[in-house]
Amino acid sequence: MIRDRVDQLLVDYFKPAGAPPTLAPHVMRRAEGADREAEALLDRLAVSATPQGISLIRRGRQAPGASGPARRLIERAREELHDYLRGQRAYFSVPVDLHEAPEFQGKVLRAAGDIPFGQARPYAWVAKRIGHPGAVRAVGTALGKNPVPLIVPCHRVLKSDGGVGGYIFGTRLKGWLLEIERTTPVLEGCTSTRVVCRVGCAHLRRAKPKNRVVFASVEDALSVGYRACQACRPAQVA
Amino acid sequence: MRRVARGDGRAFTELVEAYGPKLMAVATRLLGSRADAEDAVQRALLQSYQAARRYEPRWAVSTWLYRVLTNVCVDELRRRGVRAAHAASAAAEDHAPVFETPGDAGRRIDVARALAKVPREARVLLALHYVNGLGNAELARIRGISINTVKSQLARGKSILRAALAQGGHA
Repeated sequence: MIRDRVDQLLVDYFKPAGAPPTLAPHVMRRAEGADREAEALLDRLAVSATPQGISLIRRGRQAPGASGPARRLIERAREELHDYLRGQRAYFSVPVDLHEAPEFQGKVLRAAGDIPFGQARPYAWVAKRIGHPGAVRAVGTALGKNPVPLIVPCHRVLKSDGGVGGYIFGTRLKGWLLEIERTTPVLEGCTSTRVVCRVGCAHLRRAKPKNRVVFASVEDALSVGYRACQACRPAQVA
Repeated sequence: MRRVARGDGRAFTELVEAYGPKLMAVATRLLGSRADAEDAVQRALLQSYQAARRYEPRWAVSTWLYRVLTNVCVDELRRRGVRAAHAASAAAEDHAPVFETPGDAGRRIDVARALAKVPREARVLLALHYVNGLGNAELARIRGISINTVKSQLARGKSILRAALAQGGHA
């Protein structure tokens, strides 16, 4: 392996480092329950929809949709939420219907929807973005009444001092959602088709877990012989 | 690995002892700080533990572990890129490289700086290659790319490194 000086430098540089001794038991403890928590949460949520999109997500018992299209949207939303909570989806493709929301709240929610997956912004950022920099509290109230939490990511809005702020389903859940997003990759490629997708894309869902590799950017993936998915258009995100 | 899939805690501990230090080395060199590396290795092991049932004997255990680990590390690198772009002038970098032996410190900084100029995918391959002496075929399987791509990426990475080191007065 060592042929020249650069090789030697690299071998020295990459000498094995000791692992912390408590790693194994710690990992085994953490593995318990992560999946169960996601399912328990989804079980307690009721999703409602109009034929145009998801209109309400609240705690409660799930009722079937009023019409065929609404039922299909609800099923789709629940599937996407399930994937999202288990760290297997980095975006929602199901449409939301915010017609019921007043104009100001609509603006706030759309601004919150512009915050990318895995990131967070202060309430003041949202206020500035909708052109009412003084309305920080009103922004908080509007987000607190978010009709479709989780899908419209009001949990990505935090206090300017780094505090978590409030959340409709409780601050503990808000922290947990941010943690999920912190550990969910956004771009994955399938090694058998050499296509790179956003995590959650239908194409990628068909790929076996062992055939998935994570990429840091679409450019990186292209540089090693992958191509971008035509369906989910990953170039928009990274 | 099959024992791990059956929920054998001791088998998992053995696995961690066997591969832990090498995984740590790859993660430390890719992410720069020991704390981030521990976090990444922990997440990777967590994922492997949860997915042990899906493990296929056709793959070497190491190939599989490295795949999971590089997936975690690459995603962490992406996140950093995003963070850096968003908070361009935020607090100074606290991801200083880790030094074990003071005498090597100067040279290590040079290598770390030079490596920062190598494109991400090539850097990942270099780290895997030099920590463990992994062959091209295994590297190709780990990153899901062709052997020829591995070869060209490694060669390109090394030539960029060589140029960067020469500028710094080394090699």
